[in-house]
Amino acid sequence: MANLMPKRRLENIGLGITGFCVALVALVVVTLIFMVAQQGLSTFFVDGMDPIAFFTGQNWIPEQERYGALPMIVGSFAVTLLSTLFALPVAIGSAIFVVEVAPGFGRRVFQPVIELLVGIPSVVYGVLGLYVINSLVKAIFGEAAPTGAGILSGSIVLAIMILPTITTLSMDALRAVPNQYREGSYALGCTRWQTTWHVVLKSATPSLMTAVILGMTRAFGETLAVQMVIGGVERSMPTGLLDPASTLTAALTAGLSNAVSGSEYYHALWTLGLLLLVMSLVFIMIIHLIGRKGAKANG
Amino acid sequence: MSKLDLTRRQFMGVFGATAAIAGLAACGGNTASDTTAEGDEGSADAALVGSISCSGATSFQPLVEKAADAFMDANPEVSVAISAGGSGQGLSQVAEGSVQIGRSDVFAEEKLEADQLEGLVDNQVCIVGMGPIVNASVDVDDITTEQLKGIFLGQITDWSEVGGTAGAIQVIQREAGSGTRATFENAVLAGETAPDSFRPVAEVDSSGTVVEQVAATEGSISYVAFNYMENDGVKALSVDGIDPTQENVENGDFLIWAYEHMYTREDEDEATAPVTKAFIEFMLSEDFASTVVEEGFIPMGDMKVQKDAEGNVTAVA
Repeated sequence: MANLMPKRRLENIGLGITGFCVALVALVVVTLIFMVAQQGLSTFFVDGMDPIAFFTGQNWIPEQERYGALPMIVGSFAVTLLSTLFALPVAIGSAIFVVEVAPGFGRRVFQPVIELLVGIPSVVYGVLGLYVINSLVKAIFGEAAPTGAGILSGSIVLAIMILPTITTLSMDALRAVPNQYREGSYALGCTRWQTTWHVVLKSATPSLMTAVILGMTRAFGETLAVQMVIGGVERSMPTGLLDPASTLTAALTAGLSNAVSGSEYYHALWTLGLLLLVMSLVFIMIIHLIGRKGAKANG
Repeated sequence: MSKLDLTRRQFMGVFGATAAIAGLAACGGNTASDTTAEGDEGSADAALVGSISCSGATSFQPLVEKAADAFMDANPEVSVAISAGGSGQGLSQVAEGSVQIGRSDVFAEEKLEADQLEGLVDNQVCIVGMGPIVNASVDVDDITTEQLKGIFLGQITDWSEVGGTAGAIQVIQREAGSGTRATFENAVLAGETAPDSFRPVAEVDSSGTVVEQVAATEGSISYVAFNYMENDGVKALSVDGIDPTQENVENGDFLIWAYEHMYTREDEDEATAPVTKAFIEFMLSEDFASTVVEEGFIPMGDMKVQKDAEGNVTAVA
């Protein structure tokens, strides 16, 4: 009996600690959502702005009290989609090479190198972009891109940033395909390329999609690097890939230091934050949806 | 029903979590009351004791940091915490009372609502002059205010229109809400605003970046404070034939300048008020004036003109 008591107490302490952790996480998440929503929705409920005008307005000029978020929404989506488009073929291509063709080289050399890239802070990518990508774009397009800053430069920098994310996740996705599938395909007389194309890639599609969405989420939420290279022009709609533009995140960071708490501008910036929150929620939901579909398809 | 049916184990878990949070909250409460008590004791002493915080505009933060270092050396019992955040944040934090000093490049009247202005004290600690800079390859040395206005409103787009060799003018702006931008536009644009169709080639969020971008972009023009003008690859322009110098600002000849403000509260806590007051007096002192000049700002004492919140310039009586 005397031995039992400490054990029970230990159990309870363990429960208390782990329960506290869960409660803390829940508290943080709920507080965060509540705060962002409260401030962000003030734009519409306290300042009385029209939500449709806010999200479709083509001019973001705070000094004239004009808040149209469309230039930044377009900017964010443009760099996200373009960077994914740039990064995806390279990521999947190299994943196929190191998983299907040269697994030894992949595990020993390629994986550590690509994991190193994941850990590089975004400011380093930003500096690199500012001095290399922007100068390159400027040199190639000349007068059309006087500073080199714009959607194209932003997309290239982001593509480099999300490349390691998509590559590592794609490698994991391809490795997860059971070897029996490959052996079965070889037994039917398929070549390695046919096997990769028709069997491996096909059965790994849901996980590859997850890799892409996660890469897109990172691109969408990236602030510092993109802010350094995109030009930061938010007053009107960008009209081309070489046009300087801004993203939701960049506009939010640049604006917050100049906005007075509680002002219309301040609320409008929070609304951009709310939009970012909602978008990441959408991305997460897509991932879950793909995961569930994939599980169903694979039995 | 089954959901409410907590086992003892589950109950312990929930209970533990609740208790822990309550404990944390209690801890927070205790610390707060402790500090207040210490602060009260401190104010009773004759020597200056206490800690104040100062947040806001980044433009003259280095100057304020120098002042704080010297001030803390002279008063070892005092601590002055300087943080960045921008004019908007500095003003709202001092209005809320969460910091003792809020730094701003612009008059509080331009940013705050009337009810927030109540109880705020404007301490103008120095002056910052600003002027246009261009890429070093631009062969224009002087520009009129009218021409500057035309350029920043998007009406003048080629250097040949202002007496230079033909070539596109690339306008680089500071971000919306920047104090430097507000000062420049107040002095140059005279209330007019650029049409929606006008797009600068970049809107950047610090003077350092402006200098870099102007140096790297052929045919570009922007504006910075005097202390950023001496850089490779950029060239300062004179405006209406007047050079951007300290003397010309003091005489009232050069018109693009603004006060650097350190806002405080009238009803500041007794514990910190003497420290805040002494610190601002130190910033304005004769001893510190040489540092002000070294850092590229203009001390208050030498000004022969003054500006009010509406931008009206008058001679100092």
